[in-house]
Amino acid sequence: MNGEASGTIVRVTRMPKSWRIFHWVNFLAVFAAVVTGIYIARPYYQAMIAEPAVRKFVMGWNRAIHLYAAITIDVLCVVSFYLYFLSRFERPVRKLLPTREHGREFFEVLANFFTFNRRKRFDSAELDTFNAAWFTLLHLLLLFQLFTGLQLYVYSLESGLSSVGGWWPWLMHVATDWTYWAFGGRMGVRWVHHFTMYLLLAWIAFHVYYEIWRTVYWREGDIAIAFGGEKIARRLPGTAAE
Amino acid sequence: MRVFGRGEGGGSADGIGARSESEYEALRRRCEERLRELEATEPLKQVHLPSLLRSEGMSRRTFLKWASATTALLFLPASFEKLVARAAAVMNRVPVIWVEYQDCAGNSEAILRADGPTIDELLLDVISLEYHETLMAPSGFQAEAQLEDALQAFRGKYILIVEGSIPTEGGFGFNGPRGESFLENLKRLSRDALAVIAVGSCASYGGIPAAYPNPTKAMGVWDIVKGKPIVNIPACPMNPANLIGVVLHYVLTGTLPELDYLLRPKFAFGYRIHDNCERRAHFDAGEYVEQWGDEGARNNFCLYKMGCKGPMTFNNCSIIRYNDGTNWPIGVGRGCIGCSEPGFWDKYAYERPMAGANIPVPGLWNMGIERSVDLLGVGLLTAAGAGIAIHAFLSAKYGKKSDEGAPGAPPKEKS
Ligand code: SF4
Ligand code: SF4
Repeated sequence: MNGEASGTIVRVTRMPKSWRIFHWVNFLAVFAAVVTGIYIARPYYQAMIAEPAVRKFVMGWNRAIHLYAAITIDVLCVVSFYLYFLSRFERPVRKLLPTREHGREFFEVLANFFTFNRRKRFDSAELDTFNAAWFTLLHLLLLFQLFTGLQLYVYSLESGLSSVGGWWPWLMHVATDWTYWAFGGRMGVRWVHHFTMYLLLAWIAFHVYYEIWRTVYWREGDIAIAFGGEKIARRLPGTAAE
Repeated sequence: MRVFGRGEGGGSADGIGARSESEYEALRRRCEERLRELEATEPLKQVHLPSLLRSEGMSRRTFLKWASATTALLFLPASFEKLVARAAAVMNRVPVIWVEYQDCAGNSEAILRADGPTIDELLLDVISLEYHETLMAPSGFQAEAQLEDALQAFRGKYILIVEGSIPTEGGFGFNGPRGESFLENLKRLSRDALAVIAVGSCASYGGIPAAYPNPTKAMGVWDIVKGKPIVNIPACPMNPANLIGVVLHYVLTGTLPELDYLLRPKFAFGYRIHDNCERRAHFDAGEYVEQWGDEGARNNFCLYKMGCKGPMTFNNCSIIRYNDGTNWPIGVGRGCIGCSEPGFWDKYAYERPMAGANIPVPGLWNMGIERSVDLLGVGLLTAAGAGIAIHAFLSAKYGKKSDEGAPGAPPKEKS
């Protein structure tokens, strides 16, 4: 870890600038996708613009923004999975290996959370296993939205053509047709796509709360990571990972 | 274009696959040869199409207009119009057996031309219907004997048209004087058929009889008949033009049309209602009917919020319409209920905003397929919020413990 020691307190970089950019772009894109997605499911405002229908695209814009946001999220998802394995900063996938050490760390963090403790018998200067698992869950949910969303999207390309060529609808069918059968047809796919939005919102709620709680409780400034990229870590003598 | 699905391996023929000039030329020669052969055979039924048209007061011009529309329906170039017209006249060379199971007879009704027949409906008079319980004069053993005759005479050559779903729960649905079950009847009749055409949503996927809780365990033809070419022409009822299209395709080319993953002919089901809807501009503009008879309804706004399932439904009624192109559901101001999609009664057929329907369906705690999403979702969010609030409160109240000893000196930030 690239940190400076100050007694038992070290200052560590937890998120390089690129990660922070990904984080906030991801947040904005998810936010935009939720707002526009709800409109698509149930248009909640009328277009009260004094223009002929052919010139105002209220639903059109909502769908466009939803898809732009989706593309952004999908690309970031791909980037994240790459970084999981090959990041030069830190490879979260290492923390996902089911070793005993990781298991212990996972439950240590959880135990802190549920017993209102600040006991830390692991190195908090690194990504902990609990957060690694929690972020992986996010990416899996986003990936699931990608498959179900593209399955809903490809209906409008039934001709098998698209502005970028026939390979695109073809690829979408290959990649997403399993959702059609898995969820019992288009309505089922719509259902799970819509419902997963709620799972994502719940994920965000927990994530934000957890980071704030951790900041207040552990007094390591975790919340600052998303902004400045750094936090401090208190190390117990003898447990510091060199 | 579908990459995989049930449609593949369903034993369908290659259909009109021509794309280039030379391919069309080859296809035209193939069709001509086929028509010559058919014209040389004995008609199974003595109908003379021109006189039939005359007796119904239809001019040759009307007929040619129909032929040109049907040519376009089948994705054929205009040079095929004459062939299509010739094929229509020899449709009486193809033996057809029509059976009816668990249904409302709506598809038979659709071809019965209660008032002013369309040419499509007239052509069903031309087809040699060897057996059709609802329409034929004989009944009981007499009808049974006629069926037997037809089975013997046209073994391996007849087209079996099935209307209605097939109950698979014992004790439901029997046919004929010997009380044969629908299930046995279908198995027996399909064995020697050239192909099976399922007409209407019930025969295709079980339709309304198969709706929750499906007391008779109703199924579609494709769930039961294996190893035979099957064509599904769903919708409630099917459009007679699509049935004529399939039969005409067979008469003209000797093959069945290209099918999609649900075994529906692509010429008819390759279109999404929403993409060919006259109200589509209002959808994109965000102008919706909010209530029956409101300002939006009077201005023909989009019916999405009244439950229109056009965005999920594939059918050509938005193009060819019903009753000789007179009108179609969305044209008269009500949404599409997705009648040509599998499971339409449980999943599509409600006049509620897409996300607000509340019809009981299995597996979702009877909360309604759409409404349940929001109920569950908001419930989940509320639970998450409550959990967070409780945890925050408990943290503030009890969370003083620490086995790190006394908290160290406040962190000193170094620059
Ligand atoms: S009325 Fe239905 S099919 Fe037509 S644009 Fe609106 S949602 Fe689509
Ligand atoms: S508009 Fe929809 S419900 Fe109506 S006939 Fe067409 S597919 Fe069926």
